[in-house]
Amino acid sequence: MPFSKIAGLSAIALAAGLSAAGATTLKDVKDQGYIRVATANEVPYSYMKDDGTSAGIGPDVANAVLKKLGVAEANWSVTPFGTLIPGLKAKRFDFVAAEQNISPERCKQVSFTEPNSSYGEGLLVKKGNPKKLTTYADIAKDPSLKVAVVSGANNIDFLRAVGVKDSQVIFITANADALATVQSRADAYAATELTVASLAKGQANVEQVAPFTDPVVNGKPVRNFGGFAFRPEDKELRDAFNAALVEFRKSEDYKKILGTYGLSEASIKAAAERKVEDLCAGK
Amino acid sequence: MEWLSYLPALSRGALITAGITLSAIAIGAVAAFAAGIARVEGGRALSLVALCYTELFRGTSLLVQLFWFYYALPLVGISFEPVATGILVLSLHVGAYGSEIVRGALQSVSVQQHEAARALNFGRAQTLLHISLPQALVEMMPAFGNLAIETLKLSSLVSLISIADLTFRAQSIRNLTLDSAGVYSLTLVGYFAMSLVLMLIMRLIERLVRRGAAFPRAAHS
Repeated sequence: MPFSKIAGLSAIALAAGLSAAGATTLKDVKDQGYIRVATANEVPYSYMKDDGTSAGIGPDVANAVLKKLGVAEANWSVTPFGTLIPGLKAKRFDFVAAEQNISPERCKQVSFTEPNSSYGEGLLVKKGNPKKLTTYADIAKDPSLKVAVVSGANNIDFLRAVGVKDSQVIFITANADALATVQSRADAYAATELTVASLAKGQANVEQVAPFTDPVVNGKPVRNFGGFAFRPEDKELRDAFNAALVEFRKSEDYKKILGTYGLSEASIKAAAERKVEDLCAGK
Repeated sequence: MEWLSYLPALSRGALITAGITLSAIAIGAVAAFAAGIARVEGGRALSLVALCYTELFRGTSLLVQLFWFYYALPLVGISFEPVATGILVLSLHVGAYGSEIVRGALQSVSVQQHEAARALNFGRAQTLLHISLPQALVEMMPAFGNLAIETLKLSSLVSLISIADLTFRAQSIRNLTLDSAGVYSLTLVGYFAMSLVLMLIMRLIERLVRRGAAFPRAAHS
């Protein structure tokens, strides 16, 4: 390849790179008429109904906040949970509404809003709970037990923190895999309380462990705080969305949305009491 | 019956699958012929480029190629729409396999045919167009039929880059209904039906190509 051609190609690549570095602003989104949002297909946090419309805690709140911001339309795409952040960084969508737990690790990659919801952990087991599990630490006690988690979800961190070995963990790609998995290859499926509750509903062969004790990490029981994730360079867009979200959290409409999906009064209150900075700092 | 309620969404997905498969087969065929002919007839440089393309795309995983084009390439500022990414990567992938079919078939045309062409004062392009290709095409068709059906089945991987194809629809419905048996059974039937149609189309093309080879056009009469 002659040098001039190489130089030409690198110039094109450079120009393309520079244009990609520009931040997306609220004005861009309004001019464009729509914003691109991702969900992970996890009932009840965020999912697509079979008519192609979005539903769940994340999407319902996001739609309400976008309406307040004057963004006419949201283009939803569904992507596996583990690819939400890579897709956001690759500009496949402008933010993620999947109630991802605000964790210090994720805060290094993305810029979260204030918490939109708060929820505890849960376990799905075979009917009758044959292994008598009541919390994640019970799995650590018996190395022959296997536990399933969704790849990319943070439940694995809690399992590790209470001493579960990696050799005990079976990774699955979606919640729907869990039903078959706990009836065959795994003794339990670790997920959030709402996910487990929605999976166990109406099923004859599996059940949700109750009463369940939330795992204790660093001396206190863990809770998840789900937020919306933006690209760090889109600070203006994130701040505008965040301000509208904080305002919307005070409304009755907000409480109604979360209540519809099974969140308790206490969980709704808990979400508003924590600050995103503290959660990112691991406090 | 509950299964019937899955059909509208599944058929919408099947349409996307069909579109992506047919596009990938068409573009992949162009890539296959370009690279295959370049390997046999191209000069040293062209042949090397074709070899690199074939080995690169044949030797790496299609799923990783999709992820690379979808999640890694945009980080340096080059980004295509999901469907365009899916068709592009799938085309290049099956085109790499197809180029070997083209190369093998072209090389199987006997030396005597080339000698006869030269005796008749045919140029290289004329020999390729009127002597080698018509005979080689007949040899290629069964292998291309295989590759076409393989393309259909490989296309299910695009569901992982957020394209709402048949597999993607199946996953979504399963996520809502938790009915793995019903959804996956219907999906298998869907792929099988589409591959039957594809097989018929390829047979039809094969027959046309065979007829063309048996009665070559009088190119220089």
